Amino acid sequence: MLGAVAIPLAHLGHFLWIFYVIPVLIVVAGIIRSTRAEKKREREEESKKRQ
Amino acid sequence: MIPALPYAHALVAKQDLPIPAWLFAWAASIVLVVSFFALSAAWRKPRFEEERWRPSAAWLTTVLRSPPIQVLCGGLAVFLLGVAIYAGIHGTEAPDRNFAITFFFVTVWIGFAFVSALVGNVFPAFNPWRAIARVAGGAHRLLAGRPPRHLAYPERLGRWPAAAGLLGFVWLEVVYGSSGGVAVGLEPHAAGVAACVYTAYTLAMMALFGCETWCARGEVFSVYFGMFSQLAPFGVEDGRIGRRRPLAAATHWVAGASGSTAVVIASIATTSFDGAADGAYKGALESVERWFADAGVGPLATIRIADTIFMAGTVAGVAAVYLLGVKGMRSVPGAPPFRQLARGFAHSLIPIALAYLVAHYFSLFVYQEQAQFTYLLSDPLGTSTTDLFGTAEHGIDFNALSPNAIWYVQVAALLVGHVFGLTLAHDKALVYWRDYRRASRSQYWMLAVMVAFTCFGLYLLSVGAS
Repeated sequence: MLGAVAIPLAHLGHFLWIFYVIPVLIVVAGIIRSTRAEKKREREEESKKRQ
Repeated sequence: MIPALPYAHALVAKQDLPIPAWLFAWAASIVLVVSFFALSAAWRKPRFEEERWRPSAAWLTTVLRSPPIQVLCGGLAVFLLGVAIYAGIHGTEAPDRNFAITFFFVTVWIGFAFVSALVGNVFPAFNPWRAIARVAGGAHRLLAGRPPRHLAYPERLGRWPAAAGLLGFVWLEVVYGSSGGVAVGLEPHAAGVAACVYTAYTLAMMALFGCETWCARGEVFSVYFGMFSQLAPFGVEDGRIGRRRPLAAATHWVAGASGSTAVVIASIATTSFDGAADGAYKGALESVERWFADAGVGPLATIRIADTIFMAGTVAGVAAVYLLGVKGMRSVPGAPPFRQLARGFAHSLIPIALAYLVAHYFSLFVYQEQAQFTYLLSDPLGTSTTDLFGTAEHGIDFNALSPNAIWYVQVAALLVGHVFGLTLAHDKALVYWRDYRRASRSQYWMLAVMVAFTCFGLYLLSVGAS
Protein backbone atom coordinates (compact mmCIF):
# COMPACT_ATOMS: atom_id res chain seq x y z
CA MET A 1 0.00 0.00 0.00
CA LEU A 2 2.92 2.33 0.65
CA GLY A 3 3.60 2.63 -3.04
CA ALA A 4 0.13 4.13 -3.54
CA VAL A 5 0.77 7.04 -1.16
CA ALA A 6 1.64 10.07 -3.25
CA ILE A 7 3.62 12.74 -1.42
CA PRO A 8 2.32 16.13 -2.62
CA LEU A 9 5.79 17.48 -3.39
CA ALA A 10 4.41 19.83 -6.03
CA HIS A 11 2.83 21.94 -3.27
CA LEU A 12 5.92 22.16 -1.06
CA GLY A 13 6.51 25.57 -2.60
CA HIS A 14 3.52 26.83 -0.62
CA PHE A 15 5.39 26.14 2.63
CA LEU A 16 8.65 27.85 1.70
CA TRP A 17 7.74 30.72 4.04
CA ILE A 18 8.66 28.40 6.94
CA PHE A 19 12.33 28.69 5.93
CA TYR A 20 12.04 32.48 6.25
CA VAL A 21 10.40 32.28 9.67
CA ILE A 22 13.04 29.96 11.19
CA PRO A 23 15.76 32.66 11.61
CA VAL A 24 13.22 34.99 13.26
CA LEU A 25 12.16 32.23 15.67
CA ILE A 26 15.80 31.40 16.50
CA VAL A 27 16.57 35.06 17.25
CA VAL A 28 13.40 35.50 19.33
CA ALA A 29 14.16 32.28 21.27
CA GLY A 30 17.72 33.52 21.89
CA ILE A 31 16.40 36.87 23.11
CA ILE A 32 13.89 35.27 25.50
CA ARG A 33 16.57 32.93 26.85
CA SER A 34 19.17 35.65 27.42
CA THR A 35 16.58 38.07 28.88
CA ARG A 36 15.51 35.42 31.39
CA ALA A 37 19.13 34.60 32.24
CA GLU A 38 19.93 38.29 32.80
CA LYS A 39 16.86 38.84 34.97
CA LYS A 40 17.74 35.77 37.01
CA ARG A 41 21.30 37.03 37.45
CA GLU A 42 20.01 40.46 38.52
CA ARG A 43 17.70 38.86 41.08
CA GLU A 44 20.55 36.79 42.45
CA GLU A 45 22.81 39.85 42.70
CA GLU A 46 20.05 41.75 44.55
CA SER A 47 19.49 38.94 47.00
CA LYS A 48 23.24 38.73 47.63
CA LYS A 49 23.31 42.47 48.33
CA ARG A 50 20.45 42.12 50.84
CA GLN A 51 22.29 39.33 52.64
CA MET B 1 21.68 17.79 0.91
CA ILE B 2 18.59 19.95 0.56
CA PRO B 3 16.57 19.21 -2.56
CA ALA B 4 15.33 22.03 -4.75
CA LEU B 5 11.63 22.34 -4.02
CA PRO B 6 9.27 22.20 -6.97
CA TYR B 7 6.94 25.18 -7.38
CA ALA B 8 3.46 24.04 -8.29
CA HIS B 9 2.48 27.33 -9.88
CA ALA B 10 5.76 28.57 -11.29
CA LEU B 11 6.23 28.29 -15.02
CA VAL B 12 9.92 29.04 -14.83
CA ALA B 13 12.20 30.38 -12.12
CA LYS B 14 13.66 33.69 -13.26
CA GLN B 15 16.80 33.34 -11.19
CA ASP B 16 19.56 30.79 -11.45
CA LEU B 17 21.01 31.15 -7.97
CA PRO B 18 23.80 28.92 -6.65
CA ILE B 19 21.91 28.37 -3.38
CA PRO B 20 18.18 28.46 -2.50
CA ALA B 21 16.79 31.98 -2.03
CA TRP B 22 15.80 31.30 1.58
CA LEU B 23 19.44 30.65 2.47
CA PHE B 24 20.08 34.33 1.73
CA ALA B 25 17.59 35.15 4.51
CA TRP B 26 19.54 32.90 6.88
CA ALA B 27 22.85 34.48 5.85
CA ALA B 28 21.37 37.99 6.22
CA SER B 29 20.08 37.10 9.69
CA ILE B 30 23.55 35.89 10.71
CA VAL B 31 25.09 39.15 9.41
CA LEU B 32 22.56 41.14 11.47
CA VAL B 33 23.27 39.15 14.64
CA VAL B 34 27.04 39.56 14.14
CA SER B 35 26.53 43.31 13.50
CA PHE B 36 24.48 43.54 16.69
CA PHE B 37 27.27 41.98 18.78
CA ALA B 38 29.91 44.12 17.05
CA LEU B 39 27.88 47.27 17.86
CA SER B 40 27.39 46.15 21.47
CA ALA B 41 31.12 45.59 21.89
CA ALA B 42 32.58 48.55 20.01
CA TRP B 43 29.93 51.32 19.88
CA ARG B 44 29.63 52.63 23.42
CA LYS B 45 28.90 56.34 22.95
CA PRO B 46 26.19 57.99 20.84
CA ARG B 47 27.61 59.42 17.62
CA PHE B 48 24.53 60.43 15.64
CA GLU B 49 23.09 63.00 18.02
CA GLU B 50 25.14 65.69 16.32
CA GLU B 51 25.13 66.05 12.56
CA ARG B 52 28.62 67.58 12.50
CA TRP B 53 27.50 69.88 9.72
CA ARG B 54 30.31 71.67 7.90
CA PRO B 55 29.63 74.35 5.28
CA SER B 56 30.66 73.63 1.70
CA ALA B 57 32.30 76.21 -0.54
CA ALA B 58 30.24 79.44 -0.56
CA TRP B 59 30.03 79.53 -4.36
CA LEU B 60 28.15 76.21 -4.33
CA THR B 61 25.34 77.72 -2.26
CA THR B 62 25.43 80.93 -4.29
CA VAL B 63 25.06 79.04 -7.58
CA LEU B 64 22.61 76.30 -6.54
CA ARG B 65 20.30 78.58 -4.59
CA SER B 66 20.51 81.53 -6.99
CA PRO B 67 17.20 82.94 -8.34
CA PRO B 68 17.90 81.93 -11.99
CA ILE B 69 18.52 78.29 -11.01
CA GLN B 70 15.42 78.25 -8.79
CA VAL B 71 13.28 79.76 -11.54
CA LEU B 72 14.72 77.26 -14.06
CA CYS B 73 14.09 74.23 -11.82
CA GLY B 74 10.65 75.40 -10.68
CA GLY B 75 9.63 76.33 -14.24
CA LEU B 76 10.78 72.94 -15.56
CA ALA B 77 8.83 71.17 -12.81
CA VAL B 78 5.62 73.11 -13.54
CA PHE B 79 6.05 72.47 -17.28
CA LEU B 80 6.56 68.72 -16.77
CA LEU B 81 3.58 68.53 -14.39
CA GLY B 82 1.50 70.24 -17.07
CA VAL B 83 2.76 67.84 -19.76
CA ALA B 84 2.01 64.83 -17.54
CA ILE B 85 -1.50 66.05 -16.72
CA TYR B 86 -2.21 66.80 -20.39
CA ALA B 87 -0.80 63.44 -21.50
CA GLY B 88 -2.83 61.67 -18.82
CA ILE B 89 -6.11 63.29 -19.79
CA HIS B 90 -5.70 63.50 -23.57
CA GLY B 91 -3.23 60.69 -24.32
CA THR B 92 -3.59 56.98 -24.89
CA GLU B 93 -5.27 54.85 -22.24
CA ALA B 94 -2.44 52.28 -22.46
CA PRO B 95 -0.53 52.92 -19.19
CA ASP B 96 2.82 51.73 -20.56
CA ARG B 97 2.62 54.06 -23.60
CA ASN B 98 1.51 57.19 -21.75
CA PHE B 99 4.10 59.65 -20.39
CA ALA B 100 2.02 60.43 -17.28
CA ILE B 101 2.12 57.04 -15.59
CA THR B 102 5.87 56.43 -15.80
CA PHE B 103 6.56 60.07 -14.96
CA PHE B 104 4.44 60.16 -11.79
CA PHE B 105 5.00 56.67 -10.41
CA VAL B 106 8.55 55.84 -11.51
CA THR B 107 10.60 58.91 -12.46
CA VAL B 108 9.31 61.16 -9.68
CA TRP B 109 8.16 58.72 -6.98
CA ILE B 110 11.17 56.39 -7.11
CA GLY B 111 13.76 58.65 -8.76
CA PHE B 112 13.50 61.50 -6.26
CA ALA B 113 13.59 59.06 -3.34
CA PHE B 114 16.88 57.59 -4.63
CA VAL B 115 18.42 61.00 -5.40
CA SER B 116 17.29 62.44 -2.03
CA ALA B 117 18.95 59.60 -0.12
CA LEU B 118 22.17 60.04 -2.08
CA VAL B 119 22.66 63.80 -2.37
CA GLY B 120 20.10 65.42 -0.08
CA ASN B 121 16.81 67.21 -0.34
CA VAL B 122 16.68 68.44 -3.93
CA PHE B 123 12.90 68.17 -4.26
CA PRO B 124 12.05 71.68 -2.96
CA ALA B 125 13.80 73.11 -6.02
CA PHE B 126 11.73 70.85 -8.31
CA ASN B 127 8.44 71.00 -6.41
CA PRO B 128 5.93 72.41 -8.94
CA TRP B 129 3.34 73.36 -6.30
CA ARG B 130 5.94 75.20 -4.24
CA ALA B 131 7.05 77.04 -7.37
CA ILE B 132 3.46 78.10 -8.16
CA ALA B 133 2.82 79.11 -4.55
CA ARG B 134 5.99 81.20 -4.40
CA VAL B 135 5.07 83.03 -7.59
CA ALA B 136 1.55 83.62 -6.22
CA GLY B 137 3.02 84.82 -2.91
CA GLY B 138 5.37 87.19 -4.76
CA ALA B 139 2.49 88.55 -6.82
CA HIS B 140 0.42 89.11 -3.66
CA ARG B 141 3.33 90.95 -2.03
CA LEU B 142 3.66 93.13 -5.12
CA LEU B 143 -0.04 93.97 -5.38
CA ALA B 144 -1.00 94.19 -1.69
CA GLY B 145 2.30 95.54 -0.47
CA ARG B 146 2.56 92.87 2.25
CA PRO B 147 3.18 89.11 2.40
CA PRO B 148 0.06 86.88 2.41
CA ARG B 149 -1.36 86.04 5.86
CA HIS B 150 -1.79 82.41 6.86
CA LEU B 151 -3.50 80.42 9.56
CA ALA B 152 -1.34 78.89 12.27
CA TYR B 153 -0.77 75.22 11.45
CA PRO B 154 -2.24 72.98 14.18
CA GLU B 155 0.92 71.35 15.54
CA ARG B 156 -0.95 68.32 16.84
CA LEU B 157 -1.60 67.38 13.20
CA GLY B 158 2.17 67.12 12.65
CA ARG B 159 2.94 65.00 9.58
CA TRP B 160 -0.31 63.01 9.78
CA PRO B 161 -1.73 64.67 6.59
CA ALA B 162 1.39 63.49 4.74
CA ALA B 163 1.03 59.96 6.16
CA ALA B 164 -2.61 59.84 5.02
CA GLY B 165 -1.65 61.28 1.62
CA LEU B 166 1.11 58.71 1.22
CA LEU B 167 -1.36 55.88 1.81
CA GLY B 168 -3.80 57.54 -0.59
CA PHE B 169 -1.18 57.91 -3.33
CA VAL B 170 -0.07 54.28 -3.10
CA TRP B 171 -3.69 53.13 -2.84
CA LEU B 172 -4.42 54.99 -6.08
CA GLU B 173 -1.45 53.33 -7.81
CA VAL B 174 -1.62 49.81 -6.43
CA VAL B 175 -5.26 49.24 -5.46
CA TYR B 176 -7.33 51.53 -7.67
CA GLY B 177 -5.12 50.74 -10.66
CA SER B 178 -4.70 47.03 -9.96
CA SER B 179 -6.44 45.78 -13.06
CA GLY B 180 -3.94 46.69 -15.76
CA GLY B 181 -1.48 43.80 -15.72
CA VAL B 182 1.42 46.16 -16.45
CA ALA B 183 4.00 47.71 -14.09
CA VAL B 184 1.59 50.44 -13.06
CA GLY B 185 -1.94 49.59 -14.12
CA LEU B 186 -3.66 52.85 -13.32
CA GLU B 187 -5.47 54.42 -16.26
CA PRO B 188 -3.63 57.55 -17.42
CA HIS B 189 -6.88 59.55 -17.41
CA ALA B 190 -7.41 58.73 -13.71
CA ALA B 191 -3.78 59.69 -12.99
CA GLY B 192 -4.24 63.03 -14.81
CA VAL B 193 -7.46 63.83 -12.93
CA ALA B 194 -5.86 62.79 -9.61
CA ALA B 195 -2.91 65.10 -10.33
CA CYS B 196 -5.34 68.01 -10.96
CA VAL B 197 -7.20 67.27 -7.72
CA TYR B 198 -3.95 67.01 -5.76
CA THR B 199 -2.69 70.26 -7.29
CA ALA B 200 -5.86 72.11 -6.24
CA TYR B 201 -5.72 70.58 -2.74
CA THR B 202 -2.03 71.37 -2.25
CA LEU B 203 -2.34 74.97 -3.46
CA ALA B 204 -5.35 75.49 -1.19
CA MET B 205 -3.43 74.13 1.82
CA MET B 206 -0.41 76.28 0.95
CA ALA B 207 -2.67 79.33 0.78
CA LEU B 208 -4.14 78.42 4.18
CA PHE B 209 -1.02 77.50 6.13
CA GLY B 210 1.84 78.89 4.07
CA CYS B 211 3.96 77.24 1.42
CA GLU B 212 6.95 76.16 3.54
CA THR B 213 4.83 75.04 6.49
CA TRP B 214 2.67 72.81 4.30
CA CYS B 215 5.74 71.41 2.50
CA ALA B 216 7.30 70.49 5.85
CA ARG B 217 4.14 68.90 7.28
CA GLY B 218 1.43 67.97 4.84
CA GLU B 219 2.68 67.88 1.25
CA VAL B 220 3.11 64.17 0.59
CA PHE B 221 6.03 64.30 -1.83
CA SER B 222 8.02 66.92 0.12
CA VAL B 223 7.66 64.93 3.35
CA TYR B 224 8.38 61.58 1.68
CA PHE B 225 11.51 62.72 -0.18
CA GLY B 226 12.53 64.88 2.79
CA MET B 227 12.45 61.76 4.96
CA PHE B 228 14.93 59.95 2.70
CA SER B 229 17.13 63.04 2.40
CA GLN B 230 17.86 62.77 6.15
CA LEU B 231 20.15 59.85 5.32
CA ALA B 232 22.22 61.87 2.83
CA PRO B 233 25.66 63.31 3.56
CA PHE B 234 24.57 66.80 2.38
CA GLY B 235 22.09 69.21 3.90
CA VAL B 236 21.09 72.86 4.16
CA GLU B 237 21.48 74.90 7.35
CA ASP B 238 20.57 78.58 7.56
CA GLY B 239 20.30 78.69 3.79
CA ARG B 240 23.78 77.28 3.23
CA ILE B 241 24.65 73.90 1.68
CA GLY B 242 27.05 71.77 3.67
CA ARG B 243 28.28 68.28 4.46
CA ARG B 244 27.18 66.30 7.48
CA ARG B 245 27.57 62.85 8.95
CA PRO B 246 25.49 60.44 6.81
CA LEU B 247 22.35 59.09 8.60
CA ALA B 248 22.78 61.58 11.46
CA ALA B 249 20.02 64.00 10.38
CA ALA B 250 17.45 61.19 10.61
CA THR B 251 17.81 61.16 14.40
CA HIS B 252 15.91 64.42 14.84
CA TRP B 253 13.56 64.22 11.84
CA VAL B 254 11.05 61.91 13.49
CA ALA B 255 11.16 63.73 16.84
CA GLY B 256 10.43 67.01 15.05
CA ALA B 257 6.72 66.37 14.43
CA SER B 258 4.00 63.90 15.37
CA GLY B 259 2.89 61.55 12.61
CA SER B 260 6.47 61.04 11.40
CA THR B 261 6.48 57.46 12.71
CA ALA B 262 3.31 56.86 10.69
CA VAL B 263 5.02 58.20 7.55
CA VAL B 264 7.95 55.78 7.97
CA ILE B 265 5.70 52.79 8.74
CA ALA B 266 3.39 53.66 5.83
CA SER B 267 6.43 53.78 3.50
CA ILE B 268 7.57 50.27 4.46
CA ALA B 269 4.06 48.83 4.51
CA THR B 270 2.95 50.21 1.15
CA THR B 271 6.11 48.97 -0.59
CA SER B 272 5.66 45.58 1.08
CA PHE B 273 2.04 45.38 -0.02
CA ASP B 274 2.96 46.30 -3.60
CA GLY B 275 5.51 43.48 -3.61
CA ALA B 276 3.21 40.99 -1.93
CA ALA B 277 0.03 41.65 -3.92
CA ASP B 278 1.25 39.67 -6.93
CA GLY B 279 3.23 37.11 -4.95
CA ALA B 280 2.97 36.21 -1.28
CA TYR B 281 -0.62 37.46 -0.88
CA LYS B 282 -1.91 36.15 -4.19
CA GLY B 283 -3.61 33.01 -2.88
CA ALA B 284 -5.12 34.73 0.14
CA LEU B 285 -6.25 37.69 -1.98
CA GLU B 286 -7.99 35.36 -4.41
CA SER B 287 -9.80 33.63 -1.52
CA VAL B 288 -11.08 36.96 -0.15
CA GLU B 289 -12.04 38.09 -3.66
CA ARG B 290 -14.02 34.89 -4.17
CA TRP B 291 -15.83 35.52 -0.88
CA PHE B 292 -16.84 39.03 -1.96
CA ALA B 293 -17.78 37.80 -5.44
CA ASP B 294 -20.01 35.12 -3.88
CA ALA B 295 -21.64 37.86 -1.80
CA GLY B 296 -22.66 39.56 -5.06
CA VAL B 297 -20.07 42.35 -5.20
CA GLY B 298 -18.99 43.43 -8.71
CA PRO B 299 -15.67 42.11 -10.10
CA LEU B 300 -13.67 45.39 -10.00
CA ALA B 301 -15.04 46.40 -6.59
CA THR B 302 -14.17 42.90 -5.33
CA ILE B 303 -10.51 43.33 -6.31
CA ARG B 304 -10.33 46.82 -4.82
CA ILE B 305 -12.01 45.90 -1.53
CA ALA B 306 -9.78 42.84 -1.06
CA ASP B 307 -6.64 44.83 -1.92
CA THR B 308 -7.65 47.63 0.45
CA ILE B 309 -8.15 45.15 3.30
CA PHE B 310 -4.75 43.57 2.68
CA MET B 311 -3.04 46.95 2.36
CA ALA B 312 -4.54 48.08 5.68
CA GLY B 313 -3.53 44.72 7.18
CA THR B 314 0.06 45.20 5.99
CA VAL B 315 0.22 48.68 7.56
CA ALA B 316 -1.15 47.24 10.81
CA GLY B 317 1.31 44.31 10.63
CA VAL B 318 4.39 46.48 10.09
CA ALA B 319 3.26 48.83 12.88
CA ALA B 320 2.63 45.87 15.20
CA VAL B 321 6.10 44.37 14.60
CA TYR B 322 7.74 47.72 15.29
CA LEU B 323 5.65 48.43 18.39
CA LEU B 324 6.37 44.91 19.72
CA GLY B 325 10.08 45.75 19.43
CA VAL B 326 9.43 48.98 21.36
CA LYS B 327 7.40 47.05 23.96
CA GLY B 328 10.37 44.70 24.39
CA MET B 329 12.64 47.68 25.02
CA ARG B 330 10.33 48.87 27.81
CA SER B 331 11.23 45.74 29.81
CA VAL B 332 14.78 47.02 30.32
CA PRO B 333 15.17 49.01 33.58
CA GLY B 334 15.45 52.76 33.10
CA ALA B 335 13.37 52.80 29.91
CA PRO B 336 11.54 56.03 29.01
CA PRO B 337 7.74 55.95 28.45
CA PHE B 338 6.38 53.83 25.59
CA ARG B 339 5.32 56.79 23.42
CA GLN B 340 8.72 58.41 23.72
CA LEU B 341 10.43 55.17 22.73
CA ALA B 342 8.03 54.58 19.83
CA ARG B 343 8.84 58.00 18.43
CA GLY B 344 12.50 57.96 19.44
CA PHE B 345 13.39 54.84 17.48
CA ALA B 346 11.23 55.33 14.38
CA HIS B 347 14.10 57.00 12.53
CA SER B 348 15.89 53.62 12.53
CA LEU B 349 13.19 52.45 10.09
CA ILE B 350 14.06 55.10 7.47
CA PRO B 351 17.03 53.11 6.02
CA ILE B 352 14.71 50.08 5.94
CA ALA B 353 12.06 52.04 4.05
CA LEU B 354 14.76 53.00 1.53
CA ALA B 355 16.05 49.42 1.38
CA TYR B 356 12.54 48.13 0.63
CA LEU B 357 12.14 50.80 -2.05
CA VAL B 358 15.45 49.87 -3.74
CA ALA B 359 14.79 46.14 -3.42
CA HIS B 360 11.29 46.30 -4.87
CA TYR B 361 11.65 48.97 -7.53
CA PHE B 362 15.30 48.99 -8.59
CA SER B 363 14.72 46.86 -11.71
CA LEU B 364 11.42 48.62 -12.53
CA PHE B 365 13.25 51.94 -12.33
CA VAL B 366 16.10 50.81 -14.63
CA TYR B 367 13.66 49.42 -17.20
CA GLN B 368 11.05 52.18 -17.11
CA GLU B 369 13.59 54.99 -17.24
CA GLN B 370 14.72 53.63 -20.59
CA ALA B 371 11.14 54.14 -21.73
CA GLN B 372 10.87 57.54 -20.03
CA PHE B 373 13.90 58.99 -21.80
CA THR B 374 13.21 57.44 -25.21
CA TYR B 375 9.75 56.77 -26.58
CA LEU B 376 7.72 58.37 -23.76
CA LEU B 377 9.64 61.63 -24.14
CA SER B 378 9.31 61.63 -27.93
CA ASP B 379 5.68 60.58 -27.93
CA PRO B 380 4.23 61.71 -24.57
CA LEU B 381 0.61 61.05 -25.53
CA GLY B 382 1.45 57.57 -26.81
CA THR B 383 -0.65 58.11 -29.92
CA SER B 384 2.20 57.38 -32.38
CA THR B 385 1.64 60.76 -34.00
CA THR B 386 4.69 62.60 -32.68
CA ASP B 387 8.42 61.87 -32.56
CA LEU B 388 9.87 64.94 -30.83
CA PHE B 389 13.41 63.63 -30.30
CA GLY B 390 13.56 60.83 -32.86
CA THR B 391 13.37 58.13 -30.19
CA ALA B 392 9.71 57.14 -30.48
CA GLU B 393 10.62 53.76 -31.98
CA HIS B 394 13.06 52.83 -29.20
CA GLY B 395 12.20 50.09 -26.73
CA ILE B 396 13.28 48.76 -23.36
CA ASP B 397 16.37 46.56 -23.22
CA PHE B 398 15.31 43.90 -20.73
CA ASN B 399 18.80 42.37 -20.90
CA ALA B 400 20.25 45.47 -19.22
CA LEU B 401 20.03 43.58 -15.92
CA SER B 402 20.26 39.84 -15.40
CA PRO B 403 17.79 38.25 -12.94
CA ASN B 404 20.72 37.28 -10.71
CA ALA B 405 22.09 40.84 -10.70
CA ILE B 406 18.66 42.13 -9.66
CA TRP B 407 18.48 39.57 -6.86
CA TYR B 408 21.96 40.45 -5.54
CA VAL B 409 21.13 44.17 -5.58
CA GLN B 410 17.90 43.40 -3.69
CA VAL B 411 19.67 41.29 -1.06
CA ALA B 412 22.48 43.86 -0.66
CA ALA B 413 19.96 46.73 -0.32
CA LEU B 414 17.95 44.91 2.33
CA LEU B 415 21.03 43.88 4.27
CA VAL B 416 22.73 47.29 4.21
CA GLY B 417 19.45 49.04 5.06
CA HIS B 418 18.85 46.83 8.08
CA VAL B 419 22.43 47.10 9.34
CA PHE B 420 22.10 50.91 9.12
CA GLY B 421 18.76 50.67 10.93
CA LEU B 422 20.32 48.55 13.66
CA THR B 423 23.17 51.06 13.99
CA LEU B 424 20.78 54.03 14.31
CA ALA B 425 18.70 52.17 16.90
CA HIS B 426 21.78 51.18 18.92
CA ASP B 427 23.03 54.75 18.85
CA LYS B 428 19.68 56.06 20.12
CA ALA B 429 19.60 53.42 22.86
CA LEU B 430 22.91 54.81 24.15
CA VAL B 431 21.16 58.18 24.57
CA TYR B 432 18.25 56.74 26.58
CA TRP B 433 20.30 54.21 28.60
CA ARG B 434 23.63 55.76 29.50
CA ASP B 435 24.94 52.33 30.52
CA TYR B 436 26.00 50.63 27.27
CA ARG B 437 25.15 47.16 28.67
CA ARG B 438 21.54 48.14 29.25
CA ALA B 439 21.47 49.94 25.92
CA SER B 440 22.59 46.75 24.17
CA ARG B 441 20.05 44.72 26.10
CA SER B 442 17.28 47.08 25.04
CA GLN B 443 18.23 46.42 21.45
CA TYR B 444 17.62 42.67 21.59
CA TRP B 445 14.07 43.29 20.46
CA MET B 446 15.06 45.73 17.75
CA LEU B 447 17.36 43.01 16.46
CA ALA B 448 14.33 40.73 16.25
CA VAL B 449 12.43 43.49 14.40
CA MET B 450 15.30 43.90 11.92
CA VAL B 451 15.65 40.17 11.33
CA ALA B 452 11.87 39.90 10.86
CA PHE B 453 11.78 42.76 8.34
CA THR B 454 14.80 41.34 6.45
CA CYS B 455 13.33 37.83 6.19
CA PHE B 456 9.89 39.22 5.29
CA GLY B 457 11.42 41.42 2.58
CA LEU B 458 13.46 38.58 1.11
CA TYR B 459 10.45 36.27 1.22
CA LEU B 460 8.34 38.79 -0.69
CA LEU B 461 11.08 39.20 -3.29
CA SER B 462 11.71 35.47 -3.68
CA VAL B 463 8.00 34.74 -4.14
CA GLY B 464 7.63 37.64 -6.55
CA ALA B 465 10.53 36.34 -8.65
CA SER B 466 9.10 32.84 -8.94
